[in-house]
Amino acid sequence: MNTMKWLIRRELWEHKGSLVWAPATVAGALASLATLAAFAGRQISINGDIPQSVVVTGGPLEHLVQTLTQTYMASSLPLFLMLSVLVFFYCLGALHDDRRDRSILFWQSLPVSDLQTVLSKAAIALLVAPLITIAIALLLSLFILLVICLVMALHGTHIAGPVLMSPGLYRSAFNVIGMLPVYALWALPTVGWLLLVSSVARSKVFLWAVGTPLAASLLMLWAERFFQLDFNSGWIMQHVVERILLGVLPGAWFLFTSADEQVHLSMPDAGGLQVGGLLQASWQTLGSASAWLGVAAGIAMLAGAVWIRRHREEG
Amino acid sequence: MSAIITAANLSKHYGNKAALDGASFEIQPGRVVGLIGPNGSGKTTTLKAILGLTRFDGALSVLGLDPRTQRDQLMNDVCFIADVAILPRWLRVREALDFVQGVHPRFNRAKAEQYLARTKLEPNMRVKAMSKGMVVQLHLALVMAIDARLLVLDEPTLGLDILYRKQFYQNLLEDYFDENKTILITTHQIEEVENILTDLMFIADGKITLAASMDELGQRFTEVMVEPNQLNAANALRPMSQRTVFGKAIMLFDGVSRAQLSGLGELRTPSVADLFVATMKGAYP
Repeated sequence: MNTMKWLIRRELWEHKGSLVWAPATVAGALASLATLAAFAGRQISINGDIPQSVVVTGGPLEHLVQTLTQTYMASSLPLFLMLSVLVFFYCLGALHDDRRDRSILFWQSLPVSDLQTVLSKAAIALLVAPLITIAIALLLSLFILLVICLVMALHGTHIAGPVLMSPGLYRSAFNVIGMLPVYALWALPTVGWLLLVSSVARSKVFLWAVGTPLAASLLMLWAERFFQLDFNSGWIMQHVVERILLGVLPGAWFLFTSADEQVHLSMPDAGGLQVGGLLQASWQTLGSASAWLGVAAGIAMLAGAVWIRRHREEG
Repeated sequence: MSAIITAANLSKHYGNKAALDGASFEIQPGRVVGLIGPNGSGKTTTLKAILGLTRFDGALSVLGLDPRTQRDQLMNDVCFIADVAILPRWLRVREALDFVQGVHPRFNRAKAEQYLARTKLEPNMRVKAMSKGMVVQLHLALVMAIDARLLVLDEPTLGLDILYRKQFYQNLLEDYFDENKTILITTHQIEEVENILTDLMFIADGKITLAASMDELGQRFTEVMVEPNQLNAANALRPMSQRTVFGKAIMLFDGVSRAQLSGLGELRTPSVADLFVATMKGAYP
């Protein structure tokens, strides 16, 4: 366990730039843009010579506070999209970079097993990187919420108090964290595949990771048409290729289960951005067999990555 | 004491080329062993086999363990420097110390820091900002602070300038080596290690051609600067090799007693390099 702690730290030292500073920089840029927009909006209203004063009270205010506290995390959506790109490229390099610069010989000279090494890298991709992004996203969303409160206060509507008192504010944050297990399970096939390619490929990891499944499915499509064969290449595209390439995208589980009739998602109709509704629907996707088949496949591919790292000979 | 490494009939083929062809040897604890051979003779493959980094046929026991199946356990007691400059470029000195301390039960941080204090390395320095010699200093500081029973060095001073090379071996002997440790070194720079070795193994074409302690070598091999009038008598004793320096024939004898040779000319103990050249004559076509 102690070894695992140090392996995780090691990864953070090496990838601090992409795992921490990149999302933090984007969050900083988004925060500045939001501030600028709020500030500029105020300027216009002054120049417009009519100081707009909109005072909202009573029922509408309650509704406003409820909507704000339930959807404010949505302002961090760009960070979560970015997370998928970061995790994707992290995995591609994870078991390849140290082979390329031969520093693998240093790591292998220490009493750390290849199983522990691969597990630490999978843990970064599935848990640590998403947690860092969630933390930064939470700060960004709270900041933007604060800006909104300030702007509204300048216009005469004071909502900071009701927002802080609203349980929705805290529930939304917990709901986002509550999606982490769902994310980890759906991302496992992709992370497993990318780590496997990362430990196999001698070079051009990206090409192997993306090209192999795409070429294979195109070949199958062609064979299906040409020989009038009866295997469903569309099904393979959706259940294999998409799963091993897009699994690291947060929310991709809705895409994967949308055609799955066994799972009836209770998608909230009006508040599509309500995090609570999303959380419930996300956990429901785990009721599908394909989710767990993917988990099994992901674990098998991780095992393959461990085996190859242990038995491959570095020149 | 029982051997720390026992190898019997090690074989390894790359295609039809044999990297190891039935190599057998034993290494006793508390020795500094030089594994010396020409390029492509199987030196590195032998080390990789010992470290569990390659597959091979034959029986091999390192500290009582099989490196093929018990590698993870073996690495608690074995340390190696595989090649110079293989520390990852992003690593800082401080992080390297932290990490090795975190994962290695036999790492003595104070010792590593003590060694680093004698260098120009700073805790926040990254490997990519270091010269080749500094990278080796860092690696050596880490390795010397690990109380391993077996240390394997593969061309440890390759590409280093003479100051670092001298310092490297000096540190190794003064600060690291003791009777509980065994060091196995491969190198091309025979002259450099000659004085620190206790044992010597020559390897050629995947076979061990000579394995002896330095003391045995002195008893077994004799070099004679043969007087011109003794040439026939000397040749009758069948020298291993013969070369001419300043018009004088210098002959190398294997297993001929010094008493027998003393009449032929001036006697001396051959250098490892001369011995190597004489032994390897067949290996170079």
